[in-house]
Amino acid sequence: MVKEKIIAMLAEATDTDASEITLETKFADLGIDSLDMTEMAMDLEDEFGIEFTPSPELNTVGKLIEAVEKLAAEA
Amino acid sequence: MITSPICDMLGIPYPVFQGGMAWIADGKLAAAVSNAGGLGIISAMNANAEYVREQIRLAKSLTDKPFGVNIMLMSPFAADCAKVCAEEKPAVVTTGAGSAAPYIQMWKDAGIKVVPVIASVAMAKQSERAGADAVIAEGQESGGHIGELTTMALVPQVVDAVKIPVLAAGGIGDGRGIAAALMLGAKGVQMGTRFLVAKECGVHQNYKDMVLSAKDISTQVTGRRFGGNTCRGIKNSFTRNFVKMEYAPDATPGSVADLGAGSLRKAAVDGDVKEGSVLAGQIAGMVSREQTCEEILTEIMQETEACLKGAAAWVK
Repeated sequence: MVKEKIIAMLAEATDTDASEITLETKFADLGIDSLDMTEMAMDLEDEFGIEFTPSPELNTVGKLIEAVEKLAAEA
Repeated sequence: MITSPICDMLGIPYPVFQGGMAWIADGKLAAAVSNAGGLGIISAMNANAEYVREQIRLAKSLTDKPFGVNIMLMSPFAADCAKVCAEEKPAVVTTGAGSAAPYIQMWKDAGIKVVPVIASVAMAKQSERAGADAVIAEGQESGGHIGELTTMALVPQVVDAVKIPVLAAGGIGDGRGIAAALMLGAKGVQMGTRFLVAKECGVHQNYKDMVLSAKDISTQVTGRRFGGNTCRGIKNSFTRNFVKMEYAPDATPGSVADLGAGSLRKAAVDGDVKEGSVLAGQIAGMVSREQTCEEILTEIMQETEACLKGAAAWVK
């Protein structure tokens, strides 16, 4: 659920086909910078009812999904 | 006399921060700005913790006024430098290029005021929630790393979105700019380019001369195509080559990622203003003479006052 939603959000934001986004995809390769990531964090907060602060370590799609899944489970 | 909640918060006469310019804003410049009534800021850039400690101690030896340190969060040494700040306790820490959230509590516990530089409403809200004391809303008119929005559009939107004081940065070079920023709802400003040519600033003379002779259209933005490292500097061989390479048909984010490495040092320290990166804001065209920090601050505050007093003439 978190995974599908995040990939769908990324696909829409970057005009990329969802099938091309994998867990290993790096945000830098999608052209997503820290500004974009902060916007997405706000959307993720609304979507999953969590408080989420992005950090540079979350540099791949897989790492982001993992972090959000953990927060959503605690929420 | 102009006063603002920023002056009260920090105990400084003028609500003017000097931008934390990498390779340029050292302890000497920061102390000079603070002695002249603004808030001087040391750039921690990509330097290690020892450099930052040294510069903080240098500033302390030159001024008893409050000053700040800018932590560049993308730096590999950001965590170490953050810790040095908690130990050395400058009055203020400003942050750039990322989220300051992981460090805010540590700094607050040390009695430091935390003021992140932000380029969007979302970043401002995140900073406020993490405990920031104020934010600096920086428009893309500024030099160095920039976001998308202009100061004119960004500042009022940030002011509406957060309760903490907002400082405006980007495109402010004199008292008219400060007065305008206050009208947009800012409680203070941050200026980089104007202080870059201050007599107390130790940047290479070639770099200063480039800024002093710049015109309104002299700056160029590099790194915009792929984002992440978008920078404004004065147009030269370096920026032209960069733009040519990033817009080449076979360019990828990876192929341009390291184009800027070492280029700022080359210009600011070695004085190679052709192949180095001469970061400066769009107001470079307004800056035409070297002055002391005291002359700069006295002049811009007088201008601000004149502008604000004169504004009443518009209302009938």
